[in-house]
Amino acid sequence: MDFTFPKEYQLFRRMVREFVENEVRPLAKVIDREHRVPHETVKKAAKLGLMGVPFPQKYGGMGGGEIGYCILAEELGRVCSSTATVIGAHIGIAAMAIHLDGTEEQKQKYLVPLAQGKAIGAFGLTEAQAGSDAAAIKTTAVRDGDQFVLNGAKVFITNGDIADTIIVMAVTDPTLGAYGGITAFIAETDSPGFSIGSLENKMGIRGSSTAECVFQDVRVPKENVLGQFGAGFLTFMKSLDIGRASLGAACLGGAQAALESSINWARAREQFGAPIATKQSVHFMLSEMFVDIEALRSLVYRTAWLIDTHQPHVMEAAACKLFGSETAHRCINKALQIHGALGYSRDYSIELGWRDQRISEIYEGTNEIQRVVIAANLFRPYGLRIPT
Amino acid sequence: MKIIVPVKQILDPKGITVRRDKERIFINREEYIVDLGSKAAIEAALRLKESVADAEVIALSMGKPQADDALREALAIGCDAAYLLSDKAFKEADITVTVHILAAAIKKLGGADLIVAGRESSDTGAGQIGPRLAEALDYAQVTDVYALAVADGMLQATRPWAHSYAAVKAPLPAVVTVALEAFPPRYAHGARIMSAYRDWNVPVWTCADLGLDEAALAPLLSFRGESFPPPIEAEKFRGDPASVAQEVVMALRLQKVIG
Repeated sequence: MDFTFPKEYQLFRRMVREFVENEVRPLAKVIDREHRVPHETVKKAAKLGLMGVPFPQKYGGMGGGEIGYCILAEELGRVCSSTATVIGAHIGIAAMAIHLDGTEEQKQKYLVPLAQGKAIGAFGLTEAQAGSDAAAIKTTAVRDGDQFVLNGAKVFITNGDIADTIIVMAVTDPTLGAYGGITAFIAETDSPGFSIGSLENKMGIRGSSTAECVFQDVRVPKENVLGQFGAGFLTFMKSLDIGRASLGAACLGGAQAALESSINWARAREQFGAPIATKQSVHFMLSEMFVDIEALRSLVYRTAWLIDTHQPHVMEAAACKLFGSETAHRCINKALQIHGALGYSRDYSIELGWRDQRISEIYEGTNEIQRVVIAANLFRPYGLRIPT
Repeated sequence: MKIIVPVKQILDPKGITVRRDKERIFINREEYIVDLGSKAAIEAALRLKESVADAEVIALSMGKPQADDALREALAIGCDAAYLLSDKAFKEADITVTVHILAAAIKKLGGADLIVAGRESSDTGAGQIGPRLAEALDYAQVTDVYALAVADGMLQATRPWAHSYAAVKAPLPAVVTVALEAFPPRYAHGARIMSAYRDWNVPVWTCADLGLDEAALAPLLSFRGESFPPPIEAEKFRGDPASVAQEVVMALRLQKVIG
């Protein structure tokens, strides 16, 4: 058993870190203040293949698999959660859904431009009445000749207002429920009838847009059914499963940044005639952060390896998201305590990290839902099936 | 047009602590990176390649087996081919021997139209590879170049001259050494990083492959120790401007210089 990252991943991490330190870090505060990740940054990332890290090179991707993608998410999460979220929603759930369930034609038409970063993707699942209870969606798709007509509204859609391609889940047969009655579609946002409603004014990840996407008689060709007709719920769940691993990786980056910044501050800050790095109370907090982070790192990259080697990973991915977001929560909270009043100041990055972190316990399936997923899988070998 | 770039692998200075009081250098983390001068040379070579038709860029490195990583990074950044010159007989190589080995490899490759090297490396800063290679191969040389182009079979370069710059011309084949500040390196493309390790090869040429006589590889220089200039009292902040500024502000606050 060798836990060393293969050399291509070591070099990739070094490249990504340089890119993020040079191109993203200087903008992190501006991104938060102006509520947008500059288009230019996304274009620069695309030029290096970063908008398609996990996908095969034959579809315009980088060929880095889930491990490569987790490295990108971790390095972005270490510096700017908004940018991590924009790229995360694009790769991890939008393009990923096409990668997992798309036909060859759909991959050529939609995955290639997404992986090359020439198009931006969004993932349309959540509705006003259907959050954790994703199967309760009301958006409908009705067959009309060679097309489907979509009607409804999706809310809290990351990248909704900047996306070119949006994956939409809609009810195609209300009598069949989640399994059989819901279908996934690939829609283009320049289609007549597609519009953006309100934009959320959020507490954190303010640089990533969160939009209401309205579908009013939006026509989608039947070729754009993603995956099996009626099996949209499975397509979405599969994409979300994989997205959860990389979300854990982004949390890992955020937690790591909190530790690094705490170590630096503890060395610099003097109280009672010595750096606070000499105080046991600080040692305890730093050590606990380290233990959390190392456990998360092992979990995240082992899960990425499970995904890349096509092994079952649903529970592990849910654990990445659950443990990752709570680790980030604990670490940033401790970092804020170590930084004292300066940590509370808007002039320093801890406060931004604290606001940015909180959403990771909520989006892409709340942590309560992750617990449900894990528990359901714990009982499954004993024949007890709990609907998730 | 064949452009050859000598590439040096160095210890990552971020993993080193210099203890003046103990007159020792401590290696905290032994990691190797591509020398920044070599990176600038690769950048200059790639820009030139993009400006002329039918050019190839070949990276060469004399070093231990781990220099393979530096050459794969060179491939990932955009070089077309890379060769590692490595042999136990090269272990003691000083600058004279290194140039001898590099020149032998360049001859084995059938010579070059242009050799692009860094003005100096980030570790020793000697700045000797370029000029010595030019002498060894009997090529023209232009050092400390800020801009370069090839037109009508001539090298055109801009280099500092007195308090200004001079535009100079030289016949090919030639050696240029480039200024780090003029050629900030590009990032490697992610897909090329994957291919550099999964799909591409870096051949290793040994002493025998290069037809070199081991007796001719005796170094002229011997290492006797490190000497340390007297310490400077002021506190230094290093890093990217944004975090340095933050550290300076924090330090000034701690000293109660500012509120």
